[in-house]
Amino acid sequence: MARKAFGGVSDTNRGYTLVICEKPEAARRVSDALSRGTTRAEQVDGIAVFKFSRSGEEFVVCAAQGHLYGVSDPSDERAVYPVFDVEWYSTDLLNEDSAYAARRISTVRKLAAGASRFVNACDFDVEGETIGYNLLRYACGGKEKEALRAKFSTLTEEDLVKAFEDMKPQQGLGLARAGRARHAIDFVWGVNLSRALSQSALGSGHRFRTVSIGRVQGPTLGFLVQREQEIREFVPIPYWKPSGVFESQGRKFAAGYVDERIETKRSAEMVREECLGKEAVAIAVRRNSVQVGPPVPFNIGDLQKEAYRVFGYTPSRTLQIAERLYLGALISYPRTGSQKLPPSINYKEILQGIGRIREYSLYADEVMKTGPMPVQGGKSDPAHPAIHPTGEKPKRALDAPEAAVFDLIIRRFLAGFGPSARRELADVSLAVEDHAFRLSGGRTVFSGWMRYYGRYVGYKDVDIPPVSEGDRFRVVDVLVEEKFDQRPTRYNQSSLLEKMEKEGIGTKATRADIIATLVGRGYVSGGSMEITDLGLSVVEVMARYAPAIITTSLTREIEQKLEAVEREGAGEAVLLRETVRSVTNQLAELSTNEESVGRGIDTALMGTAAKQFVLGKCPVCKTGDLRIIRSRATKKRFVGCSNYSSGCRASAPLPQRGTIKTTPRPCEHCSWPVIYVMGGRRPWRLCVNPACPGKKP
Amino acid sequence: MKCSLCEREAASGLCQYHEAAKAKVELAYPSWVNAYGRMEWKDYLDNVKRNVQTGQWAKEIAEFLKGD
Repeated sequence: MARKAFGGVSDTNRGYTLVICEKPEAARRVSDALSRGTTRAEQVDGIAVFKFSRSGEEFVVCAAQGHLYGVSDPSDERAVYPVFDVEWYSTDLLNEDSAYAARRISTVRKLAAGASRFVNACDFDVEGETIGYNLLRYACGGKEKEALRAKFSTLTEEDLVKAFEDMKPQQGLGLARAGRARHAIDFVWGVNLSRALSQSALGSGHRFRTVSIGRVQGPTLGFLVQREQEIREFVPIPYWKPSGVFESQGRKFAAGYVDERIETKRSAEMVREECLGKEAVAIAVRRNSVQVGPPVPFNIGDLQKEAYRVFGYTPSRTLQIAERLYLGALISYPRTGSQKLPPSINYKEILQGIGRIREYSLYADEVMKTGPMPVQGGKSDPAHPAIHPTGEKPKRALDAPEAAVFDLIIRRFLAGFGPSARRELADVSLAVEDHAFRLSGGRTVFSGWMRYYGRYVGYKDVDIPPVSEGDRFRVVDVLVEEKFDQRPTRYNQSSLLEKMEKEGIGTKATRADIIATLVGRGYVSGGSMEITDLGLSVVEVMARYAPAIITTSLTREIEQKLEAVEREGAGEAVLLRETVRSVTNQLAELSTNEESVGRGIDTALMGTAAKQFVLGKCPVCKTGDLRIIRSRATKKRFVGCSNYSSGCRASAPLPQRGTIKTTPRPCEHCSWPVIYVMGGRRPWRLCVNPACPGKKP
Repeated sequence: MKCSLCEREAASGLCQYHEAAKAKVELAYPSWVNAYGRMEWKDYLDNVKRNVQTGQWAKEIAEFLKGD
């Protein structure tokens, strides 16, 4: 059978078809799939491009490397604001680390000169569409409207061939318009407010430091600060929780008092007094069987949350790993909001592929025999299905995190086809005169989908003794435990991502990066997500002078309007005008109160700087602080006491490489400060005292 | 004017955060008295300060009020 031409036939007399992919690895995969292994890899100005013929047509495939264009203002003066004149520039002009962009753009420009037809084959979502649109518009001489669009959700040969056979023009212009509008709005929002804050701090005498705030950063920081306030001002209230120990025929078991919380010590003691030496009667035994359905397929948020729960990976790390698996054609496109697996992904073929991997073969065979129909979640995404394996085996050795996430995705996919599990739950009520105790437990009696999901299943078995109504037991003891209210827990990266999702701020593609930015800016510490003084002060200043910036309503409203631009392919100009108006109002408030704003930020910056340099109390003079000092003569850093001028000569050398992080607890052997030195493969814990008795000779 | 307990601006002795924490510490006292039957104010502050669940600002306030 003759091969179908890709998107009709180009005018081959005029030139070749130029295909633009989002990443170099994707370009190689697209070429290999479409050429069936006849690709010729060539270098154009040091950039790899791939060439092949198919049905008499010539194709050249090249790649961006993420965004090659970004927005900025023509002045690019960090002291200047407001800035509303936004233009697109190649990213090498905006960022020293993006020098590669100029070479890639130059290569695309050269290739575009010989092309008669253009194909945007970047990832089909807002960011991918924007990357492709910008290259077609700026590097290919305004081809963004006539270019064809190849849409695919996996980088497997079958999907890619189908995508190129079905490609059509004008498929993603709404996404591109929304994407470009998002970049412009976020720039206007972020650059103006950040410059206003930074300049206020500078005016207050502090040396320049970027104090940034963004459209989504602001409310996200607001969530963290609100929670931190609740934690830091928390006062626990005491309460008591009795539990009984019961015995019958030599078998003992414990059961909790039916009231979870007894407010006074006296009442709790009375429970003990009134129950001891008495007999308990099982007044109700309820056993029931419940069906537990399989978990819904992963969208990116679900995957990030589950990988955090089971592996402790941060959302941004999970996203990076998932993208590598996607580029290896092992899983479908991960930046999806969908929890649905449509039949068009071809369940049977994927299951056959998974079945060829030894550890899943048994499960895949089982699913195939039952006539596969997976569970579907409630959320959908018009661009991509839920994250699923492609059925391909890894062609290279995966590193441990990649293997872990790959296993999680395969098992989740298999679990979705499994039958419901069945759990038997038991609930026993015991009466000791007027007091009631309760015992609950449950166990899985039919594992169903849980077998496929394996170690990731969250249900645990809790056995309870066989008890029938009317059974009598001796009260052996009643323990009265004093308890205190637990203070709220801090967000972790996963629960913060969930909160952002729930509040409708950010996108599935940007949320993880926003959290990483808050850590990078020093507003929160990375591990515990504890807010820093700087983060607290930024929110404090915003709450007083520009409260809209840290509330969710404005940001959510803009997200909704951007979604409308995506759907309708219009309306971005109005939205940009509204943003300018809103930012102007916020700036006016900040400007009127510049001095107070500056003082607030400045105090926090000073406190942050001081904390970074102080390692802890001096164990020699007991009153000074041990600080990091840099020698003027040698430029080397070392530890010295703040009481040096008063005669304290405590000092110690420090590693000259790596970032130093302080720890709150001094060394258990010598009471000198303990630090972590970051920079190598793993943080290195070190007592700064060279004569510490805890150090091995 | 600086807060008596930190470097933040304060309208009247305490910054907004320590002021809020002070209100929480004072508000919780009757619940502690009710829970234990009786408890002196200073003992209460000691207990609040020592409790691992107490927040940082509330601990600082307990220490501060104890010194009054």
